[in-house]
Amino acid sequence: MTIAISKPSRLLRNPSLVVGLAIIAAMLFVAIFAPLLAPHDPYMQDITRRAVPPVWYEKGTWDNILGTDQLGRDYLSRLIYGARVSLLIGFSVVAISGVIGTTLGLLAGYFGGRVDTFVTFIVTVRLAMPVILVALAVVALFGGSIWVVIAVLGLLKWDRFAVVVRSTTQQIRALDYIASARTAGASTAWVLLREVLPNIAPQLIVIATIEVASAILMEAALSFLGLGVQPPLPSWGLMISEAKSYMFFSFWLIAIPGTALATLVFAINLAGDGLRDLITPERS
Amino acid sequence: MLIYILKRLGLALIVALTVSVIAFALLRASGDIATALAGEGATPESIAVIRQTYGLDRPIPVQYLSWLWDVARGDFGQSYFFRTDVAGLIFGKIGNTLILGAASLAIALALSIPLGVLAAIYSGSIIDRAVTMFSLMGQALPSFFLALALIMVFAINLRMFPASGADSWRNFVLPALTLGYYITPPFMRLVRAGMIDALNTDYVRTARAKGLPARRVVFKHALRNALVPVVGLVAVQLGLLMGGSVVVESIFALDGLGYLAYQSISYRDFPVLQGVVLLLSLAYVVLTLLSDIINAWLDPRLRAA
Amino acid sequence: MIRSLLLSAGFAALCSGAAHAQAADNTLRFAYNQTLESPNPYFTTLRLGVIVGRNVWDTLVARGEDGAFQPLLATEWTWADDTTLDLTLREGVTFHDGSALDADDVVETLTYVSTPANGIVSQQIAGWIASVEKTGPLSVRIKAKAPTPAAMEYLSTQLAIFPAGYFTGPQGQTQTALPVGTGPYRIDSYAPGGELRLARNEAYFEGSPKAGASIDTVSIRIVPDIQTQLADLMSGGIDLVMGLPRDMADQLGMMPGVSVVSGETMRIVFLQMNTTETGPEALKDVRVRQAINHAIDRKAISENLVGTGSTVIDAICFAGQFGCTQDVTSYDFDPEKAKALLAEAGVSGLTVSLAAYRERHISEAIINYLADVGIGVNLQFMQPAAMRDAMRAHQVDMMQNAWGAYSMFDASATAPTYFGGMPDDNNGDPELKALFDEAGVTMDGEKRKELYAEGFARIADQAYAVPMFTLPIYYAGTEGLSFETHPDEILRFWEMSWN
Repeated sequence: MTIAISKPSRLLRNPSLVVGLAIIAAMLFVAIFAPLLAPHDPYMQDITRRAVPPVWYEKGTWDNILGTDQLGRDYLSRLIYGARVSLLIGFSVVAISGVIGTTLGLLAGYFGGRVDTFVTFIVTVRLAMPVILVALAVVALFGGSIWVVIAVLGLLKWDRFAVVVRSTTQQIRALDYIASARTAGASTAWVLLREVLPNIAPQLIVIATIEVASAILMEAALSFLGLGVQPPLPSWGLMISEAKSYMFFSFWLIAIPGTALATLVFAINLAGDGLRDLITPERS
Repeated sequence: MLIYILKRLGLALIVALTVSVIAFALLRASGDIATALAGEGATPESIAVIRQTYGLDRPIPVQYLSWLWDVARGDFGQSYFFRTDVAGLIFGKIGNTLILGAASLAIALALSIPLGVLAAIYSGSIIDRAVTMFSLMGQALPSFFLALALIMVFAINLRMFPASGADSWRNFVLPALTLGYYITPPFMRLVRAGMIDALNTDYVRTARAKGLPARRVVFKHALRNALVPVVGLVAVQLGLLMGGSVVVESIFALDGLGYLAYQSISYRDFPVLQGVVLLLSLAYVVLTLLSDIINAWLDPRLRAA
Repeated sequence: MIRSLLLSAGFAALCSGAAHAQAADNTLRFAYNQTLESPNPYFTTLRLGVIVGRNVWDTLVARGEDGAFQPLLATEWTWADDTTLDLTLREGVTFHDGSALDADDVVETLTYVSTPANGIVSQQIAGWIASVEKTGPLSVRIKAKAPTPAAMEYLSTQLAIFPAGYFTGPQGQTQTALPVGTGPYRIDSYAPGGELRLARNEAYFEGSPKAGASIDTVSIRIVPDIQTQLADLMSGGIDLVMGLPRDMADQLGMMPGVSVVSGETMRIVFLQMNTTETGPEALKDVRVRQAINHAIDRKAISENLVGTGSTVIDAICFAGQFGCTQDVTSYDFDPEKAKALLAEAGVSGLTVSLAAYRERHISEAIINYLADVGIGVNLQFMQPAAMRDAMRAHQVDMMQNAWGAYSMFDASATAPTYFGGMPDDNNGDPELKALFDEAGVTMDGEKRKELYAEGFARIADQAYAVPMFTLPIYYAGTEGLSFETHPDEILRFWEMSWN
């Protein structure tokens, strides 16, 4: 983070990061101010006005700019509220998985030896688990809701954090200033939190962005399979799933949430790519 | 070398067993299977009988050990839903999934190697940027959305490929494209990064300085080194492939392992799910082990690690 | 109600190649969206299972389109008294494995399915049988436990005859590789969860109302997603699908090369409410159940989401069934009244679980209507078998059913199943059980009708369920395929042909 703030000129010379962050900021804005921005109640159904096409079609109206869905709910309003679901899930999952993965990685990388062997084993076990099957099974067995989805994905998706933090910590641990801090009598916790963590922060942020994107996609896939967020909550994955039987004659019903989902994930990945270049400029 | 392989093999087995313990515990924690199985007109007596027949009256660790003992002898139990042998059921479906996986992997490699090499050679150019964008877009496009779009274009509008089934190679084209595109980006990134590193090594620089033709340097020396980590990624990608194939197989009604697993979740068909999870975790550990061995063989320095 | 369809040739040059290819090898490729647990009709409740059952097996008697019973495996039958039925079997009928049908096959099959421990999925179809005995090489006597007015319905629809020695244990255990029947089609191959292939039975007996099959092979595949089914239908990979949502059917009807046929059915949609001890406290209050009835605009859903051929119902039965009366308390759409009833009952912030296994768009509409009166719904959309288990374990608060009554034209196939103390009953009302039990053994038609009427009236007054509407069914087929639809939703492959 310190790198990004201290060198604003370099930030601006990185178009990927700027474009990615701009899209994310716009989506965040939409998500936060959804009640003010949405033209209609996203749950209000009018089953006499179903699958009205968007305004650019012949039969479209300005009243429902993106048309209505299969139950006559305003599609733009649902799309706007859907941003909330995606972003909430993306960030919450990473908050959980980031804490788990970083803790494991820090401990393994810093202490090495048996701790490292143990953490490596857990990571291998986790990697050997077919994530989507386990997530599907847990959601199917314990019921689908936004919180179950967040908990399941958060508890499953920490592997990348653990792997990267572990190897980065190993490198940093050998550096002089850590050794001097330790000889100066600093506590382990202090060294880990004050010396090691800030130095691996750039890598952490890059992984976090990738993981946010991946969590959003996973939620969409779970919801698409009917085992994620439950209706009538608007999730983009669920919207695609609900509209898929209409796709031949009203393709926009899946194209609109599909595009929104792809744009958000693309923007996050773009920002992550830009951040990576910023941190390791010699690679680009 | 042999000791290294044996040590890793032992570790792999322990990992697969741990996964199966977790899966077993999760599934058994979810409620009373006997009541569900007993079905209509279930008196407490008949539930008790079922509990006994399926061995559900025993403590969970005992159930696990007896399941494991049966598995060790090749008996994966009976499917609750189809009332047939689990091993036979899995065996009947695994072929389709293997074909799909191999085809997807082939598509992913065919796309990622040339594009990755191109991006690395012209690093920083417009080609590099285009390839990066393509890879980012691949990561952003949800596989189920791509699958539906492919059906729309190739099955409906062009009528080139069927949208469902597994009768001929034509049935595998759309699912393999979906899954292949989905797993292409990580390979492409790895090839690009590996190539950039390889092109910057002293060895390649020397070769270039000696005046060897650029093409030969790139393909003979740099690419070979760049592909080493790709071998490892194939194993890691198996998980991603499997996850993708659950979605893709169910959309394309491809009668394979992924769809079977998805069904067995909906039907609470635990013996089938248990079998599939064990098989997948075994496949993962064995493939990682294989790729490690290949890597160690390619690069002796790794053997010490 | 039966509409004949001759899909006209003409446009759709694009698709005709595929269609003609199939016509040439005389194969029908049919896609269904739910996985068959077993091709044995006694061990699945799925419509596909009923369809396979009717094509691969024969029952002792058949039911004509006019409702009269016709000879099938039995040529003659007489009721010796209220509980004793004597049947004479047809000579010269052979099973698909070549063995000849005789009294032993009938005795063994009916004894097996009427033994509760063998666990056939729907106990009521055989539960009335006390014993079956052989009275000659080709004659049997069935003794009923009590007078059973619906006995002939069960014998003509669900009680398929298997060869003796087929079953080797409970739960349909068998040593035979593929199930064996006597019907116009035999099972050629079966992959669990995959393809089920039927082949025409060349040796099918003349004189059967099901004789004269024309199509050689029927390939049945499970294609879970409707849009994939349609994609294959439009591109020539599938010839026939059933159960399309209304919107799709409407629009598909305009596509060249594909024809859409709709038909009324006896399938009714209704919401059950769990008032047993596991159900939420609020649902035990009749005012809350009435509020839920008032909250849902059944007419709007029926007209807009379901479409032509859907009729709103007030009693939980199909009007054409014997004993069904729709003359019961009706709850009109009135959200204000619903809110008032909820307030009166002192209920606020109620959240219930709703299980459903088909017509998800209807579930979603219901959820939105309930949300409008302040009732939160947690939808559990599941596979039919899982839903059946959850229902029977009383694990959910509300259940959205779409009940086809096994295509039986008798209220006994509906009312007792859900309200008369059978496993799917989620109310456990002893009064209803007494009424329906008595109706089930009353031979006097008028008396029986009265008992059912009283029962249906009580269900409505107590608002144990939300009666919704009948479901029409939409089929789509490729050009060149000729088939008829029937209100019992059973595809008769033996009637179909390629032009």
